[in-house]
Amino acid sequence: MPGVKRRSSLIRSPQFSSLVILVVLLAAFAIADANFLSPLNISNMMAFLPELGIIALGMTLLLTGGEFDLSVGAVFGLAPVVVMLLVQSGQVDIGVALLAGLLLCVAIGAINGLIVTKIGISSFLVTLSMLLVVRGAALYITQGFPLKSWDQPGFFVTLLAGSFNIGSFRFYTSLWWFVGLSLLAIYVLHYAKLGNWISAVGSNRNAAVARGVPADAVKIWLFILTSVLAGLAGMISAFRISAASPVAGTGYELEVIAMVVVGGTALTGGRGTILGTIVGALMLRSIRNGIVLIGVPGLAYNIFVGVIILAMLILHALLQKNAARS
Amino acid sequence: MEVLRLQNLQKSFGSVRALKSASFTLNEGEVVALLGDNGAGKSTLIKAISGVFPVDRGEIYVRSQKVSIRSTRDAMDLGIETIHQDTSLAPDLSIARNLFLGREPVNLKWLGVFAPLDLAKLRDAASALLKRVGISKKLDADALVSTLSGGERQSIAISRAMQFAAKVIILDEPTNNLGVEETHGVLRFVKEVRAAGHSVLLITHNIHHVFQVADRIIVMRRGEIVAEQTVADTDLLTVESIITGADMSALLKETRAK
Repeated sequence: MPGVKRRSSLIRSPQFSSLVILVVLLAAFAIADANFLSPLNISNMMAFLPELGIIALGMTLLLTGGEFDLSVGAVFGLAPVVVMLLVQSGQVDIGVALLAGLLLCVAIGAINGLIVTKIGISSFLVTLSMLLVVRGAALYITQGFPLKSWDQPGFFVTLLAGSFNIGSFRFYTSLWWFVGLSLLAIYVLHYAKLGNWISAVGSNRNAAVARGVPADAVKIWLFILTSVLAGLAGMISAFRISAASPVAGTGYELEVIAMVVVGGTALTGGRGTILGTIVGALMLRSIRNGIVLIGVPGLAYNIFVGVIILAMLILHALLQKNAARS
Repeated sequence: MEVLRLQNLQKSFGSVRALKSASFTLNEGEVVALLGDNGAGKSTLIKAISGVFPVDRGEIYVRSQKVSIRSTRDAMDLGIETIHQDTSLAPDLSIARNLFLGREPVNLKWLGVFAPLDLAKLRDAASALLKRVGISKKLDADALVSTLSGGERQSIAISRAMQFAAKVIILDEPTNNLGVEETHGVLRFVKEVRAAGHSVLLITHNIHHVFQVADRIIVMRRGEIVAEQTVADTDLLTVESIITGADMSALLKETRAK
């Protein structure tokens, strides 16, 4: 019966197991501390979620295409810093400054992509170097000091960091960005011609090239997209807290990659899932939030995060082995 | 009728003359086996035909029209499809998506690469194709290629070439790493491809396979074509001796005397 077959393959899919674990985690935290599901705490989580989540969407597509990007955390820090410096110089208005910041991200992504595809150096090495260059640039141009961010109300502030209330929940517009970009990413990866190309390039580059798929161009654009989304997330974050710090986003690259692979996207390319990434982003966010709430000492919490991620990955591996056997 | 004709193809890499001179003709509905030891120039020849690199000198004619092949895309557009064992399919994609990779049916074509795939058409066309080539009973168009055996993958790759009405299908070592039964499956498939009117250029190390499916044999040695014979006019030992270049005539006489 096809219905049964489809259901069992759904249950075996990596997104589904991630979803089950997410529900278990949420239930466990809710039982351990009643405040976990309070409007205030949920509002808090939803304020943080989009910032890493938006980067994770780009990273999912890039990983599916067979590459990854370690410079996203640094770009997250540099982009708003450049925007604020431009604004503070007094010569450009905020809209032009934001555009310039995004163009810088385009350039960073393009450089990553060109070096990886045209010179043939692994994305690990290229983007690790780019991480240092970008982070270094952010520190140098600010002399290491955080900048006061744009806090006058206006179109762009509302667009990126406006907030609204639904009942006793307080949400930021960034949540809409995350929802919108997620839907777009789902469409592109699973329903558009481009998604077919991205998966094919990540799965077997030579096969894709042999069918006339422009593999290098696909990868370069994915690097650009990932950089731009990281910069956008950085700007959203800087507007929300009204400060642009040159060290913002430190360590985000690994957390974002963790979200993506915990959700079921293959680190080796070819298989990606946006729904899984959304579940992964929710999971890591609630773990960070929940273990603080239930009183794990702050300094110990990376231990928990690491252990939970490892457990997730082991579970995925086991599920996949089972699926292969049956 | 002549489908592909090569005239005096030459290719050097630095001082190495990988292809000294190669000329032959491939006719419609014919399976020609290209044999030769390692370094005989077989891969150089097929890479030149499939557009991996241009030749230094010589002409290629497709259906008596002189053509220039500068890229794999050029070769595909001329109806020349090359199938390598490991590089032809993306394992993480479904059979249907692999069959139409790079030529996806879409709606709203003006959206370019963002155009939505016509999933219904994709699946129907894939199922119809699998049925036409006689492997639909076992395979579901939505199954991932990674779940298929080596022989099934080979069959999928060959059916894809047939789908796009390729005039010439080049099979590069199609039976490498396959089990006995799977090898027979692929060889049977080659015969079906010929029956459907396509021409096949078969590159292989296994002379036994050649005698099962090929109509003609071309032997290369040190960058040159040294023999061209119809299968009916030759035998295994003769071909083997031509490939190695060893004088096996004495041995040959002896065997025949027996």
